[in-house]
Amino acid sequence: CQVSLGDLFDRAVKLSHYIHSLSAEIFNEFDERYTQGRGFIAKAVNSCHTSSLTTPEDKEQAQQIHHEDLLNLVLSVLRSWNDPLLHLASEVRRIKEAPDTILWKAVEIEAQNKRLLEGMERIVGRVHPSDLGNEVYSRWPGLPSLQLADEDSRLFAFYNLLHCLRRDSNKIDNYLKLLKCRLIHDSNC
Amino acid sequence: SGQPPGKPELIRCRSPEKETFTCWWKPGSDGGLPNNYIFFYNKEGEDEFHECPDYTTAGPNSCYFSKKHTSIWRTYNFTIKAMNEIGSTASDSYYVDVANIVQPDPPENLSLEFEKKVYGEYLLLKWSPPLLGDLRSGWLTLDYELRIKPEEGQVWEKIFVGHRTTYKMYSLNPGERYVAQVRCRSDHGLWSDWSPKSYIKLQKDVRVKD
Repeated sequence: CQVSLGDLFDRAVKLSHYIHSLSAEIFNEFDERYTQGRGFIAKAVNSCHTSSLTTPEDKEQAQQIHHEDLLNLVLSVLRSWNDPLLHLASEVRRIKEAPDTILWKAVEIEAQNKRLLEGMERIVGRVHPSDLGNEVYSRWPGLPSLQLADEDSRLFAFYNLLHCLRRDSNKIDNYLKLLKCRLIHDSNC
Repeated sequence: SGQPPGKPELIRCRSPEKETFTCWWKPGSDGGLPNNYIFFYNKEGEDEFHECPDYTTAGPNSCYFSKKHTSIWRTYNFTIKAMNEIGSTASDSYYVDVANIVQPDPPENLSLEFEKKVYGEYLLLKWSPPLLGDLRSGWLTLDYELRIKPEEGQVWEKIFVGHRTTYKMYSLNPGERYVAQVRCRSDHGLWSDWSPKSYIKLQKDVRVKD
């Protein structure tokens, strides 16, 4: 029998919550271990590869956007992370004395992001089937910077990627919780 | 006579409901003269700087950003400038994303009730979300954590209960007087303060053991 839309959203929100939790942890762990006092936050401004995707930045904007558009935005942001997460999981191994906890989280985030993307494609397939074709996403140009010889530049590249991952995973988690309340609970969670 | 002001310092920024936020600063030395402060900010993707929209709502040495001035997932860059008649001194630059400074108010109305049912006896703890914050639309989602101990005891038992707003406790000592509190956080943000304490005295003849 077919899984209900409500169950699909429950699974998606559990996953997005988990992915954001891991993303916040891996950022904090990396920052504490490798980049304290380097002032990277000042450089990591306007530098996420997904910033070309116009996303709601406050509650009012998020509530005004049509749910199909918000679903497609979530899909676009998720797709934009497929490639960088694939390389993050492999490149993070080259970091000097990278602890297993960071390695494990990078691999786990990549795997769970794929699962969430599959789940979202099922949801969009239910809500607005015709939209599945258009694969809008933002290309990630950052692989060379993760492989730079200069350590400071390479560490900044990792810092920036993890900073953007924490931010985007929070966006996705927030939008999915909004969509779930709107579509499943008639905005009355 | 007098000296230029000392360097002001940003001490804290907080958003209680992910819709507005406030930052506070600590003045440096005043140089023996009256000082003025200007709080500057710009947002990620913007070049020009703006001045604090509201210096009064949140009290002295603060800047309050209403909904109109609050964007989530964009890094704000803050600088505070102190001035007196001798000269001026600027603070360091500070960078904040409102998504990372969400700290809700404590939960409300924590109640403790002893319940006797066919299937067992237990202590029922109930509470409600803080008034400030839109949970209904899903914009804000909260996790809760309880703590409970015998009133005279030293060690709190902490219990993470996720999104629920009720909890049944089975393993307690008959005749004991207990104290409990609850707190909350949004996603993986900052924990709120603990709620006010609530108390209950269990009857001697209750059977609350597992």
